[in-house]
This record gives sequence, structure tokens and C-alpha cells, in this order.
Amino acid sequence: MNRALGWLAAVGLAGGLVMAFGVAPREITQGNVQRIMYLHVPTVLVAYLAFAVVLVASIAYLWRRSPAADRLAHASAEVGVLFTGLTIVAGAIWGKPTWGTWWTWDARLTSVAILFVMYLGYLLLRGMIEDRERAARYSAVLGIVAALDIPLVHFSVYWWRTLHQPPSLLKPGPATMSPEILAALLVNIVAFVLLYVYFVAKRATVLRREENVPA
Amino acid sequence: MTADHWGFVLSAYGIAAIALGAYWRHLCRRDRELTAQRSHAAQTAAHRRTNPVSPVQP
Repeated sequence: MNRALGWLAAVGLAGGLVMAFGVAPREITQGNVQRIMYLHVPTVLVAYLAFAVVLVASIAYLWRRSPAADRLAHASAEVGVLFTGLTIVAGAIWGKPTWGTWWTWDARLTSVAILFVMYLGYLLLRGMIEDRERAARYSAVLGIVAALDIPLVHFSVYWWRTLHQPPSLLKPGPATMSPEILAALLVNIVAFVLLYVYFVAKRATVLRREENVPA
Repeated sequence: MTADHWGFVLSAYGIAAIALGAYWRHLCRRDRELTAQRSHAAQTAAHRRTNPVSPVQP
């Protein structure tokens, strides 16, 4: 099952690369550097998804005290941190030729940086507490509190004046991009979601097996 | 028309490929380690069952 999911994600990513570099046209104002969007947007959407899963799994853990929910939250947070890091790096690399700077403390970038640091803190908290039940309980509370930053990240471009453009997807009304660009973006989003599911399933399996190893 | 900045594009995709590949390898390695530990523990338990240690006589 896990292996099939891995192959599906690999095929999806290969298809995403073909769409991003072979099918999607060269963007008229930014040129080919805009192709970073097919990496930057899917990674941030997957990070949103990962942290939403952390929120739901954390609530489920506090309600039912289910170790499976805790493992899901832990695995999803770890993968979410990886994808948020990639979002920040890809965004900085895209920002340099288009904005003229790698980084600026505008509302979108700052709120994403806060999101990254909060979930990094979540993982550190888990690692610091030896008692498994207490680590799960404290991190579940942090997982719920940290999720409050997700809408702040998404709506920051509307609430404050920022250098970052408003979203082209996840907004009211139709998408403001050509069908080829939209298709390439959607294929990449699906591929990265598959990769996220594969990573979380594999990490959760490893966590379950680690719990069964005698100390 | 702006320049294409292919170096930036390749850097972004290259860093992503390295990071995702490294994480995948980390998960696979940890999985293999746990499998090895489990089989070693099973072997030790089987050995103890077949060769029980006699109580030490004073």
C-alpha cells in the first residue's frame, strides 16, 4: 500500500515537472522564473493541509486519547515543517529576480515565518518531553493554538498592504490564470498532496514501530 | 521582456529535490533500522527459549 502510494507520488511529480516545464507557457511579464510557482504554490497548500491535519488530529487526541491520532499529528507536523521550509526557500529564490530581494518583513512572509517557527517549536517540544503521554498532551494543545496562524497567513495579503501578490487560487471567483498554467498548477498540487500522504503514512508507521521498541 | 533567470529556477527545484530526497532516505533508513532491531530481538528471544540460563549456584 505504502509502496504503491510512493510510486503514485513519483509518477505524479514526474507529470508535474512535464507540465511545469513542457506544457505551461512562458509567462509574459516575469519570463521563465515564474515556473517556480509550480513548486512554491503546491508546497504552501500542502503545508496548510498538513497543519489542518495536525489541528484535527490534536483535537481527536485530546478527546479520545488515541495514540494513532497523536502519531498522525506528529507525522503531519514534521512533513508540514518540511513543506513550509521549501515554500520559504522557493519564495526567496523567486523573490530575488522579481522583487529585487530575497526576503522582506511584509505581512505574508512574516506570518509564514511565524508558522514555520511555531511548528518547529512543536517538534522540539515533542522531543524535549520524555513522558510520551505528557508530550502528546502538550503538543496537541500547541498544535491547536499554532493552527490559528493559518488563516492569518492566507488572508494577510488582504488585511495588510504587502509586496506579496494576492492568491490566484483559494479565493472567491474564477482563477485569474490561463487554462494551461492552471492545469500545470493543479497537476503539481495533486502530485504534492500524494507525496504528503505517502510521507505521513511512512512516518506514522515508523513512529508506531518506534513505540513498540523496548527501551 | 524580463530575463529568464534559469539559474534561480534550477536552484529552487534542485533544493526541493535534495530536501525531499533526503527526508525520504531518512524515513527508509529508520524503517530498516527498526526492522533489523526487531529481528535481532526476536532472534535473542528464540535463543533464550532454546538455551535457558541455569540459575547461578552460590
